Amino acid sequence: MSYYFAIIGTQDNPLFEYEFGTSKQGGDGQPRFAEQARHLNQFVLHSSLDIVEEVQWTNGQLYLKVIDKFFTNYISCFMTAGNVKFLLLHQPTATAGGGGGGAAAASTRNSTSVGANPTSPQTEEAIKNFFNEVYENYVKAIMSPFYKVNMEIRSPVFRQRVTAAGRKYL
Amino acid sequence: MASSKASRLGEETRMDKVNAELVVLTYGTIVAQLCKDFDSDYVEVNKQLDKMGYNIGLRLIEDYLAKSNTVRRCSNFRETAEMIAKVGFKIFLNITPTITNWTSDGKQFSLVFDENPFADFVELPDDGRAQDELWYSNILCGVLRGALEMVQMQVEAHFISDVLRGNDTTEMRISLIRYIDDELPPEDD
Amino acid sequence: MVVYSFYIFDRHTECIYSKSWLPPAHDPTGAPNSVTAARPSSSDDAKLIFGTVFSLRNMVRKLGGDDDAFVSYRTAQYKLHFYETASNLRLVMLTDTATLSMRNVLHQIYINLWVEYVVKNPLSPVEHKGGAGVRNELFELGLDQFIRGLM
Repeated sequence: MSYYFAIIGTQDNPLFEYEFGTSKQGGDGQPRFAEQARHLNQFVLHSSLDIVEEVQWTNGQLYLKVIDKFFTNYISCFMTAGNVKFLLLHQPTATAGGGGGGAAAASTRNSTSVGANPTSPQTEEAIKNFFNEVYENYVKAIMSPFYKVNMEIRSPVFRQRVTAAGRKYL
Repeated sequence: MASSKASRLGEETRMDKVNAELVVLTYGTIVAQLCKDFDSDYVEVNKQLDKMGYNIGLRLIEDYLAKSNTVRRCSNFRETAEMIAKVGFKIFLNITPTITNWTSDGKQFSLVFDENPFADFVELPDDGRAQDELWYSNILCGVLRGALEMVQMQVEAHFISDVLRGNDTTEMRISLIRYIDDELPPEDD
Repeated sequence: MVVYSFYIFDRHTECIYSKSWLPPAHDPTGAPNSVTAARPSSSDDAKLIFGTVFSLRNMVRKLGGDDDAFVSYRTAQYKLHFYETASNLRLVMLTDTATLSMRNVLHQIYINLWVEYVVKNPLSPVEHKGGAGVRNELFELGLDQFIRGLM
């Protein structure tokens, strides 16, 4: 499972991006995106902004769950009240996504693991927790008096905390 | 003995409360605006903060005297330090900095701030200079200087370390320069 | 009890506020009415009062130690009450001779009127040269009400 997380400002401008891999089921936390796919991730993520704008009015929640899918890339969204979007692209690793071919033991283990099934309630819950923790830290980061609206978030502390949240929930 | 009395006085003095985030944002905006106005000339920003603090101190001391109900003057500088840390900071910022590092002549001490309500959430600008030049909470130096001047003590105060800069502690050094004599009425001709 | 007048002196020894509750004709501190015209002006009064309390305060401190405070003195005509803050603000009140200690009253004036309406007024200057910033409506009104309430 590989993740690409980005925060998008109110002008659809990127404020923060971070790539990481799963830490569950013995994952090492390293992203496993194919080299060509890495720059593509940014496009995939940004192209789903249109859908965010459609979905955001459908319910009053900040967490909009999986809103878009591009081949094996799933996009989850969390939108702050200030119209800043947190987008998480999650891509199940190829072997886990194959499904039928794997050994029975492996598939049962994978089916309960976070991320093996990107739309399962467990995954939704894990991502929700991740977003909530990032949101909390995001609020603290933008409370810094030297931060201006829609400015890139360069705080190393914030990056550390996102890393920690990723390790904890995903 | 005097120390416990000061703590009690600080505890007993009830103050109106204000939302901590509001304080952080208000003070932060002032510092950020100064940095902008002076084109990130942090030496000048420190100076301006000190000056603003001084003007606050000149007034704040009256409120301190009225609120804390102190009847008599401190008999020495050590007692003054106790009152600053345990009454002054307690009633205005609800913190109690630690007094340490006295010089042997009893004229210089340090206040170590375990917490600093001004600096919550703050991260200094990463332009490579702010970390070395800006004393974010420098207004406090000015406040002490102004307040003590009104009660006949000329002091010098400056920060020597700040957790925002990556130091382990936030420490302010205060030195007594002299006691100011009473002013005499002008001679009539 | 009767309050005759009230003065505030700042740390630069200047009289920054004075107020009298007397009808102009009757003056307990001065000579009989016939010579009222010859009396020194009120600014001279303030100077005289300051000179007196300042000397008395210093004398008291010399005799009784630095912690001793001069509180009041009484003449045949009036009683003078004195209160000094740690920031060297001096409040002086003149009353009739029968009045008890007004120290608490002066303290209240400092806390509730001076600090609240003068010091905390962000538009008033820090130094009140020539009484600038002291004569604001809230302070004047508050003081007048407070004193009249006592009488």
